[in-house]
Amino acid sequence: MTHTLARQAPTLGDRASRWGTIALGVGVIALAAAAYFGWAREDGFKRLQHAWLVACAFWLSISLGGLFFVIVQHLTRAGWSVVVRRVAELVAANTLVTAILFAPLVAMVLKGDASLYPWADPHHVAEHPLLAAKAPWLDAKFFALRVVVYFGTWFLIGRWLLKRSTEQDGASGVEPTLALERRAPPAMVAFALTLNFAAFDLLMSVVPTWYSTIFGVYVFAGSVMSFFAFSVVALRFLQKHGLLEREVNVEHYHDLGKFLFAFVFFWSYIAFSQFMLIWYADLPEETFWFKTRMEGPWAIVSVVLLFGHFLLPFAGLLSRHAKRRLGILTFWAVWLLVMQAVDMFWLVMPSVETSANPVTLAGIVSPIDVACLVGAGGIWLFALTKLAGGRALIPVNDPRLPQSLAFENF
Amino acid sequence: MTVDSTSALHLDEPYARPVLVEGDRDIAAVTRRVCGVVEAPKPPKAWYVAITITSAMTVMLFGCVAYLIATGVGVWGNNSPAFWGWDIVNFVFWVGIAHAGTLISAILFLLRQKWRTSINRAAEAMTLFAVCCAGLYPSIHVGRIWVAYWLFPVPNQMQMWPNFRSPLLWDVFAVSTYATVSLLFWYMGLVPDLATLRDRATTKLRKGLYGFFALGWCGSARHWQRYERAYLILAALATPLVLSVHSVVSFDFAVSQVPGWHTTIFPPYFVAGAIFSGFGMVVTTMVPARELFGLKELVTLRHLENMNKVILATGSMVGLAYATEFFIAWYGGNPYERFVFLNRALGPYWWAYWLMVFCNVVAPQFLWVKKIRTNLWAMFVISIFVNIGMWLERFVIVVTSLTRDYLPTSWGYFAPTWVDICTFAGTFGLFLTLFLLFCRYLPMVAIAEVKTVLPAAHPHGGHGHKEGAHHG
Amino acid sequence: MQHETPTLYGVLAEFASADELVAACKRVKAAGYEKVEAYSPLPLHEVNHALGHTSKLSSLIFCGGLTGALTGFGMQTYISVFDYPMNIGGRPYFSWPSFIVITFEMTVLFSALTAVIGMIALNGLPQPYHPLFNSAAFERASRNRFFLCIEADDPRFDLAEAKKVLASTQPLLVEEVPH
Repeated sequence: MTHTLARQAPTLGDRASRWGTIALGVGVIALAAAAYFGWAREDGFKRLQHAWLVACAFWLSISLGGLFFVIVQHLTRAGWSVVVRRVAELVAANTLVTAILFAPLVAMVLKGDASLYPWADPHHVAEHPLLAAKAPWLDAKFFALRVVVYFGTWFLIGRWLLKRSTEQDGASGVEPTLALERRAPPAMVAFALTLNFAAFDLLMSVVPTWYSTIFGVYVFAGSVMSFFAFSVVALRFLQKHGLLEREVNVEHYHDLGKFLFAFVFFWSYIAFSQFMLIWYADLPEETFWFKTRMEGPWAIVSVVLLFGHFLLPFAGLLSRHAKRRLGILTFWAVWLLVMQAVDMFWLVMPSVETSANPVTLAGIVSPIDVACLVGAGGIWLFALTKLAGGRALIPVNDPRLPQSLAFENF
Repeated sequence: MTVDSTSALHLDEPYARPVLVEGDRDIAAVTRRVCGVVEAPKPPKAWYVAITITSAMTVMLFGCVAYLIATGVGVWGNNSPAFWGWDIVNFVFWVGIAHAGTLISAILFLLRQKWRTSINRAAEAMTLFAVCCAGLYPSIHVGRIWVAYWLFPVPNQMQMWPNFRSPLLWDVFAVSTYATVSLLFWYMGLVPDLATLRDRATTKLRKGLYGFFALGWCGSARHWQRYERAYLILAALATPLVLSVHSVVSFDFAVSQVPGWHTTIFPPYFVAGAIFSGFGMVVTTMVPARELFGLKELVTLRHLENMNKVILATGSMVGLAYATEFFIAWYGGNPYERFVFLNRALGPYWWAYWLMVFCNVVAPQFLWVKKIRTNLWAMFVISIFVNIGMWLERFVIVVTSLTRDYLPTSWGYFAPTWVDICTFAGTFGLFLTLFLLFCRYLPMVAIAEVKTVLPAAHPHGGHGHKEGAHHG
Repeated sequence: MQHETPTLYGVLAEFASADELVAACKRVKAAGYEKVEAYSPLPLHEVNHALGHTSKLSSLIFCGGLTGALTGFGMQTYISVFDYPMNIGGRPYFSWPSFIVITFEMTVLFSALTAVIGMIALNGLPQPYHPLFNSAAFERASRNRFFLCIEADDPRFDLAEAKKVLASTQPLLVEEVPH
């Protein structure tokens, strides 16, 4: 092998606590701001819950995309990705904090507060035959149990992947890697099942009468896309601070860029399928969901998604050149992260009725949304730096590391 | 870090990359082995037996089609309320089979799965032949087959145009684009190999024929470079195309308001099912073909095992889609939807439903066991189950929904006629005849592509270095 | 025996492996030859690197795809909205979501046709005749041997010199190829 690595493993070192403190500080200030804006508003509590769901779903989706990525790397015994895998493992293992962030919403459901999930109110359900029919599923306790199962599964898988991979760093043999390969298939099965149903429970049931079988795939597509975007941004950030400069090169970014592009396209395909089928069949019990999103200011958000989440990044990332120019790639990665937030906003927020008439774009966006997004993000990033702590930022002793270091696109 | 073990199956060290070609691994030997099949003066006896049977079936197919055209579509079992019957079932079945070829050539290429090189040629050929079988059905189902060209936007004396808002027309475009692109892909891959056959030809006729189709390929570096660029972009185009074709087929059902058809997961679920059935068919045909033509060292057990893993993965996706559909049918609260799903499981076609679940969801689970997925007989049997199961899936979707519509007065029971059955059997004859002819007269393995995974193909000499790095 | 001396196409060297071919390419290129071409039974990126090949096929295909998309969407809009409007299910004539599928298919069709036809045309195929087909050894170029040819119309071409350069790269064989 011509490519070797200095045995000194790159770690965050004391930067971990410095960055962690900054993230936490920003997060707490943003949370305070969100609380203030919520308090100042008449329907503030309801708005706060919706905005909080958007924020949690956004950060969770990055972790889940990472979880998918890491499992697939072990499943396919991938060589190219080893140098970018540790960052992905850290992101994937960072689900405990999202569980904590989600907890207040579950508590609200258990308390019978129906401002986010209308089915949490038994009176409302009793009056509504469609909801009564699905009451066994949309039951507060059962819901809480399922949420525990989802987060528990993600937490266990994510932590186990990280633990074994870190074990490999100091191991003399390859046993941890083999174990990861052996367990990847069942982990994938568990991941697919939980993600699919979690999407129904956490996001789709905000409008409890609406249903779409593809919804889980839609959330999955956006999650994986935002993971790749986050991964590019995170690696660029680390490199700007002098970490992983030699290990991660343009070839790895090129591949991340290809996946980013592929998942932009995949998301568009799924989004189009869902929209077109419902639009075409035009059944009132389904169409209303899109009708809300095609009227007034929501139509603008839909058009923003059409262009911002599909057409522009598709054109922007099409050429090989764009994927290999790190400035261009990073720009699109940041852009797509913003779009993922817009997408989550678009899924959840139309449920909040606004009193303003006529409804304008300014009327549907609130500072609460931004504050929640930043607040949850600060805490999420803080937890990420805690996890990264003393760990090496690449799997230094991975048997496939030399392949990854030597990797070249043709 | 060169891997020199001859048995690819026991390589469990994570850094080791499996040997993709076993036995004599030099460039000349690979050329000899693949060309040998085509250049042998006589094919194996079994080939004659097989082609006699399959061509008889093909004759039966053409007989049935002639009878249908002469008499009318009424000779099929299609009748109120099931105006779609085996014609659409078989169409979707064959289009599904057609997905493995392009998946192997395009998606696995983009993912740098080098093991594809041994099987992509045969799988692409299967794609083409399956599209032929699929395309037959809609064109004979239109009734007046002599005006089938109305499906295309051809200016005509009546100044009429097709209706672009109909998913059936989308299908016309999707399937014909797919057929064209698959043909281009397949032919482009063949050109360098045809040049090899041309250069090795001993008779004037062979030299002339292979030479004509080889277009004067001389293997110049500049040609290779454009060739590779075109191949890469074709792969990048074929990848979304594969997704689109079966998605569009699923739109035929899903845009409607028929309970059991209108569900948004149909597009990805149909694509997963198509890949599943396509790989099933590739295993069904490759297991005997590699024995018959002595290509066991090129199409190794490792290749078959990988295909079985894809079958397991896509089969599980199909299972998840079934579960999701069932769950949302209940969750949605629509009584018609709930009824249709219960009716599938417990109604008059319960046998088809449970057989489908067994074949598509249960049978592939055996492939978790390494012993089973590396056993030729076991995988052959499972692949047959997959074929049957995926046919039944389309049957269940089409027939249970149509025979139990909103109005109980228009309920019915669909049964095929002998023409349905003979036509369907005949398409297998056509498919296998074309495949047997392909095996005999064209290189079954992409010679030039296999050469790229041999150690000799890698300047710098470091085999592990390059091959490993290019594994996805 | 009297026969016309045919004009020379170039000098051809045969190699046993890809390694040797790549080394030879670099050496011949370093000697200043421009009209050099390598021939191999499989694609070799290193050779393209050494000989400095680039291709404009990608941009051609992009144009093809764009044409396909515009044709597809334009055709459907023109027919369904202007030339032959039909009321189907009360939907608007300009039902753009229904036009997406065919637009996509046409994009792929046009790009794929451009890719293959463009590749064939840029490569000057089909070529029924190529001077190298005169060489008996060259038949192995599609099997297991690697060739390098210095063409006679290179401005620096000198028969003896070219043969010397090629001979210095340890070929299996060096021969003159007539037109």
